[in-house]
Amino acid sequence: MALLSNTAVLLGKELRTEFRSRELLTTTVVFILTIVVLFSFTFDPSVNESRRFGPGLLWLAFLFAASLMLQPCFLREQTNDTLSALRLSVNDPFAIFLAKLAANTLFLLLTQVLLLPVFSILYNVPVLGAFPQLILVMFMGSLGLSVTGTALSAISAQARMRELLLPLLLLPLLTPVLIASTEATASLLVLNPIMPWKWLGFLLGFDVVFLTALWLFGEYLLEE
Amino acid sequence: MKKRILIAAVVVILMSFAAYAALFVAPTESKMGTIQRIFYLHAPSGMVALLSFFVCFVGNLAYVFTRKPKWDWLGVSAAEVGMAFCTVLILTGPIWAHPVWGIWWTWDARLTLTFVLWLLYTSYLLLRTLVEDPDRRALISAIYGIFAFLDVPLVYGSIRWWRTQHPQPVIMGGSGSGLEPTMARVFWFWFLNLVILMIFLIHERYALEAMRGEVQSIEREAEAA
Amino acid sequence: MKNLGSVFAAYVIGWGIFFIYYITVARRTAALGEQIERLKNTLNRSK
Repeated sequence: MALLSNTAVLLGKELRTEFRSRELLTTTVVFILTIVVLFSFTFDPSVNESRRFGPGLLWLAFLFAASLMLQPCFLREQTNDTLSALRLSVNDPFAIFLAKLAANTLFLLLTQVLLLPVFSILYNVPVLGAFPQLILVMFMGSLGLSVTGTALSAISAQARMRELLLPLLLLPLLTPVLIASTEATASLLVLNPIMPWKWLGFLLGFDVVFLTALWLFGEYLLEE
Repeated sequence: MKKRILIAAVVVILMSFAAYAALFVAPTESKMGTIQRIFYLHAPSGMVALLSFFVCFVGNLAYVFTRKPKWDWLGVSAAEVGMAFCTVLILTGPIWAHPVWGIWWTWDARLTLTFVLWLLYTSYLLLRTLVEDPDRRALISAIYGIFAFLDVPLVYGSIRWWRTQHPQPVIMGGSGSGLEPTMARVFWFWFLNLVILMIFLIHERYALEAMRGEVQSIEREAEAA
Repeated sequence: MKNLGSVFAAYVIGWGIFFIYYITVARRTAALGEQIERLKNTLNRSK
């Protein structure tokens, strides 16, 4: 229980920091929007083509955005050395990870919910028919991105060339998330959407595996 | 030094035997012809690459729990050797695929997995070059190594599920299953040989890493003096 | 004996990669060995 209450307090801190400036969210939204616009030049964005390429395009944009958005996650703590203070304030260091990954999932989900209608209008792909299901897929995908991304941002923050390193470490690791989320989204964007239980189950498996790994090994990443 | 040269010589001789067996002893495959002989180098390389990455994973786990530098040395050695085998796998594959399938590459489950593996362990080795402090480097790269290895079954599973939904341009026959007895013997001989080669290379690379550790301790000693 | 060239190329590449990798490891080991010798010598002299 102490873990949960600690996490809640830390999550509040993360959210307050972000919503005071909204720097991260604004930049990420604009970044994804840029990619979505630029992608329209690489293929013929007719309705049929968009149905085929849209989901992949969207998730690739989310992946890139996540690998940039997760950058300051631990770096911010380093600049003022607030990390050691954080570590002293909680019993279980896993709470720090939980709070950060919950915040990141929330931020990612928020940008996705904001950008989904924009994507839908620009590429003529109706999304309203399966909106709740899409949100579920996006939540599971964002959770996968955040769990691995938060862990790896703690790793890359301790290395040189960290800005380049994080995408390099993270993107190959996210192959399963990219495939599962793209396929799940694709089956919801067709004319008669079907619930992609298989892929949702897969995403759940991914999230559980890496959450467990983070729970087991995360604390070592925060050692002095 | 003498012992080392002797071991190296034994490895070279074994590898020559293996090459001879693959090129002359094994019968020519009826459908594919001569080109099938690449299989004896190609398939065991893949198995041994996976084995090396598993050794790396074990080293990573052991390092996290014991914090003994030797496990870190094992981890990096196995990862590098695994990369050598993985590179052989990736390069010999297209040479076989081109005459048989008519294309150099296809995004089949196994091919894609190999490529992702290659990328994952390149990142692992790259990460190691970007951290100065040896203890820190050992710890964070070990944790990345653990994450990377956990990802392997997930990558494979996702690609398989995904590709079975779509029709494939080429279907790979079940290799290794219905092998003719002589072919099977040559195949397992190759596998054994490559495992020996792997152990030899990991051992050599480990010795190098151990020497690096020695240099560091000497330097520390010199600073203290 | 169609494709013999390809088979040959594959084996040369395979062998080549293992061999080159071994050579790089051996060379790095030799260089490091010399460095250790030098370090030990300077350390002994300064004592």
